Amino acid sequence: MEVIAEKLDKALKLKVKGRMDAITAPDFEKECAAWIEGGENDFIVDLGELEYISSAGLRSVLITAKRLKTNNGRICFCNTTGMVQKVFSISGFQSMFPMYDTLEEALAHR
Amino acid sequence: MVKRSFIYAALLFLLSGLTVRAETTAARPFVFLPQWHPQAQFAGYYVALEKGFYKDRGIDLKILRGGPDRPVTDLLEKGIADFCTMFLSTAIQRRSGGMKLVNIGQIMQHSSLMLVAKKSSGISSPRDMNGKRVGLWGADFQIQPRALFQRQGISPIIVPQTTTMNLFLRGGVDVASATWYNEYHILLNSGLSPDELNVFFFHSYGLDFPEDGIYCMEKVLEENPEACCAFVRATIDGWLYAFAHPEEALDIVMKVVNENTLPTDRIHQRWMLGRMYELICPVLPTLASGGPADVPYMQGRKEPSPAPQKGCPMGRLEEEDYNTVVRVLTAAGLIQEVPRYSDFHRKCESDVQR
Amino acid sequence: MFRDKGLAFKLILFILVCTVSIFGVAFAYDYYTSRDTVLKNVEENAANLTLSTVHQIESILKSVERVSLNTAALIEQQSFTAPELVSLVETMVSRNREIYGMTVSFEPYAFDPESLYFAPYTCRTPDGRIRSYPPEYFAYPYFYWDWYQLPKELGRPVWTEPYFDEGAGNAVMSTFSTPFYRHRDGGNRFQGVSTADLSLEWLADVVRQVKIYETGYAFLISQNGVFVTHPHTELIMRRSIFSIAEERLDYRLREVGRAMIRGERGFVSITDFVSGKKSWLYYAPLPSSKWAIGVIFPEDELFADVNQLGRQVLTIGGVGFLVLAFIVAWIAQTITRPLRSLADTTVAIAHGNLDIDLPEFPSRDEIGKLTNSFRDMRAALKEYIQNLAATTAAKERMESELKIARVIQMSFLPKQFPRLSHRYSLEISAKLEPAREIGGDFYDYFLMDSSHLLVTAGDVSDKGIPAALFMAVTKTLIKGMAEPGMEPSTILEKVNRELCLENESMMFVTLFCGILDLETGEFRYSNAGHCPPILLPSRETPAWLDTPAGFVLGVDEDSSYETSGIFLAPGDGIFLYTDGVTEAKSASNNFFSEQGLLELVRSNGEASADELVHTVFSTVTDFCAGVPLFDDVTILAVRYRGTKHPQNGGLETWK
Repeated sequence: MEVIAEKLDKALKLKVKGRMDAITAPDFEKECAAWIEGGENDFIVDLGELEYISSAGLRSVLITAKRLKTNNGRICFCNTTGMVQKVFSISGFQSMFPMYDTLEEALAHR
Repeated sequence: MVKRSFIYAALLFLLSGLTVRAETTAARPFVFLPQWHPQAQFAGYYVALEKGFYKDRGIDLKILRGGPDRPVTDLLEKGIADFCTMFLSTAIQRRSGGMKLVNIGQIMQHSSLMLVAKKSSGISSPRDMNGKRVGLWGADFQIQPRALFQRQGISPIIVPQTTTMNLFLRGGVDVASATWYNEYHILLNSGLSPDELNVFFFHSYGLDFPEDGIYCMEKVLEENPEACCAFVRATIDGWLYAFAHPEEALDIVMKVVNENTLPTDRIHQRWMLGRMYELICPVLPTLASGGPADVPYMQGRKEPSPAPQKGCPMGRLEEEDYNTVVRVLTAAGLIQEVPRYSDFHRKCESDVQR
Repeated sequence: MFRDKGLAFKLILFILVCTVSIFGVAFAYDYYTSRDTVLKNVEENAANLTLSTVHQIESILKSVERVSLNTAALIEQQSFTAPELVSLVETMVSRNREIYGMTVSFEPYAFDPESLYFAPYTCRTPDGRIRSYPPEYFAYPYFYWDWYQLPKELGRPVWTEPYFDEGAGNAVMSTFSTPFYRHRDGGNRFQGVSTADLSLEWLADVVRQVKIYETGYAFLISQNGVFVTHPHTELIMRRSIFSIAEERLDYRLREVGRAMIRGERGFVSITDFVSGKKSWLYYAPLPSSKWAIGVIFPEDELFADVNQLGRQVLTIGGVGFLVLAFIVAWIAQTITRPLRSLADTTVAIAHGNLDIDLPEFPSRDEIGKLTNSFRDMRAALKEYIQNLAATTAAKERMESELKIARVIQMSFLPKQFPRLSHRYSLEISAKLEPAREIGGDFYDYFLMDSSHLLVTAGDVSDKGIPAALFMAVTKTLIKGMAEPGMEPSTILEKVNRELCLENESMMFVTLFCGILDLETGEFRYSNAGHCPPILLPSRETPAWLDTPAGFVLGVDEDSSYETSGIFLAPGDGIFLYTDGVTEAKSASNNFFSEQGLLELVRSNGEASADELVHTVFSTVTDFCAGVPLFDDVTILAVRYRGTKHPQNGGLETWK
């Protein structure tokens, strides 16, 4: 799994590639924690190239969201596809977090 | 009693007298004179004397010292020597001239005489000798060369050659006379090598004169027929023994040489003995192959070959050889009357043929 | 074979071979260079010595020559009478001490037309007086003696070959003879020779003076190679250098002789024909008589000092090598001994004896360091093994505890058929396979009251012990919160609120909860993020059950849920599962997928609950054969069989 961070003037864009499961989820969590330590608190997570997310991945997302919340930050997702979209939908994450179709849309809503 | 003893004494005296007479007639001492200095050329005689072959045949022999100061024909005629050696050609001339000498044994069957030239002189055949300086010895040794020159139609400048080879060695003559058994080796021992010399054997040019023979006056032969032939046979024994025991023969020869303080050495005598073997028995490697280069010098050959070849007609003078010499002498005008072969030669040769 | 030899052997061999080679090369070079130097010095000395001797001899020879030449010149100039000539010869002899004798010999009839021979001769007597012989005394043909014939035929003065003169007591002599000429008959005609005899006894003395080392000597040979002087007097005049060479078959000697009589100068190595020893010969010519002088040095004397030095050096070297060998062996020992004992100790350690003592080497060098490293390694190994043992023990303990935990967890799950009244007919079957010993999936079914059956299936995020504990809590909460008449959504909300408390780890659980009214067949259900079940209508194609959306439990305490309801006819069923089924991966990296599950269920749509569960489970298992389970697999199937008519009595299932 790869996490590519890109600082945009409005927010921090995190592009997640690959699979987020019990092995790789902690890396996502650590990366996000570092950015939060560094002062970022507006995350846009681009899941366009995320193939798979397990419950461990969802957990990492929740933990990150909670951390941001305590720092008065926010998180949103965009570009979810296929299986990941289904998981987000079934697990209700879709209703919990702002979901956008495209990155531009996400940025527009900043 | 007294008469008997007197008769006995007289008888005894007579007997002793007889025996004394017998001893005196049997013990007549004979004298042999070789024609040159003591050397291996006469090894047979010295060996026979030393080994007692003459004594065994009842001959009390004394050998005189020969040399240029003692011409054999003189001493033979004068009766100082009973036996001597000389060249066949010399003997025929003497006989033709009236001296009553007889050949009782022909020892050397071939001619050892040769002419030698340095290769650097450019003389590679007798023709090349025309106008060149050729060293010749005395009269007896000039018969073959002059015959050769005449046959080849050449006129070289004749220079008298004496007892040394130094004139030739120092370039005073272009060609020198030599014998195969003596002077040729002296040249080698003076530093010249066989491959630096061109040699011309008279035996290769139809002038193969047998050389040394044993001679005595007719009178001596008539008076002592058995002794003369016994002398010849003992001599032949001596030669055969010498060829079979070369080192011992050389010891004997060197003893005589040293007694006469002659300036020669064992090496030279060894060469001479080897060549004598070739000249006395007719299996000359030089005849077979045509040149001395085929006789290895300084290659450790044992001199001479172990045993005489079969058919070595020691002591025999072939009539054919006799006639060869006679023909040349006649052509050269050296003899008028030709002695009869049967008068000249008495067969005494050995029945000891191995 | 070489590889098997020990270090000491190899060290000794290599070091010795190298040093021996180096020493050998150096020694050889030094030795042969010394010899060459000695030889060069010797050659120089010999040259000097020889040339000074040659000068000495030449001066005498020249003085003799002068007498003969002068006499010849005189005779050519003037006419002499016989007495005058005799007197001249006498005077010459008496005035010139070196000369032994003299003659002036004429060609036949050249001096006196009546006289064939004319050769006055004067010589010295042993007591030092002069003795003259009148001309007619020598009335013999002297014309063919060398001293006469050679100058005549060669046309120049010559020295004759040395000869023994009996008259002079067999002394060795040589004669210098000069031809003289007179102008006669239109040309220069040879008239005779003037000779001077020289005794060579003094020559022997001069040559004997030439002393080279102890056993070296000099000799003279004539123009024909005959020895004129030599320490071995029996060679004089009897042997030539060539006859010696012929006797010994020494080609080299013959060639040296030829070079000498050619008048060359040289320095060569030969075998001394007298002593048989390897020697060196320096030779030089005597220009006037064309004789040659040779000086011989025996090589062993020549190189005696060098050889001795060489021997001494070799001895020192030899002793040195022995010492070196011992030292090298000793050093090798000091290296190999600790190595060997270290090797032995290591073998013992390898066999398991970790408490064995390492050999003590107090030195600070590499061996000491190696030993210390070994000691540290041994201690570390010991600790590691102890830790490993402890860890293994702990792990084993944990495994056994996990096994027990699994048993306990499995025991949570209902196995027994619910105690239904005889009135209702139902099929229910379930199977749960955890990915690890214990997992986070669960299912439950129980009667809320006599006519309401609650079925639930859930999936705790993550796996392992944390998930199992969370699962136990969740299951207990569901059972605790569920009250008859409660809607499933309410149950979910209540359970959610409880779970959100004290949930720092953000664990969540997906849950599907449904309540079946056994009387009416109504099935009311709610979903919290769980995958939707499959509806199994009898005689119709199974399809996904339409489930309301809902967030997972345990995250947001304010989450609300909805309840949906359907009516099940007798024979209809519900198929519950967790995502471990659909996300099962095969060895070829394919997911079982929802589609796959639906199709499988469809092809077994009329199967009984047991059969269905069994089939699905075995299919999934086969599907991911060879790949370990990634997620817990939970399957639950319920088939409603309706109520029984009282007239039927007993248990009957409607088909």
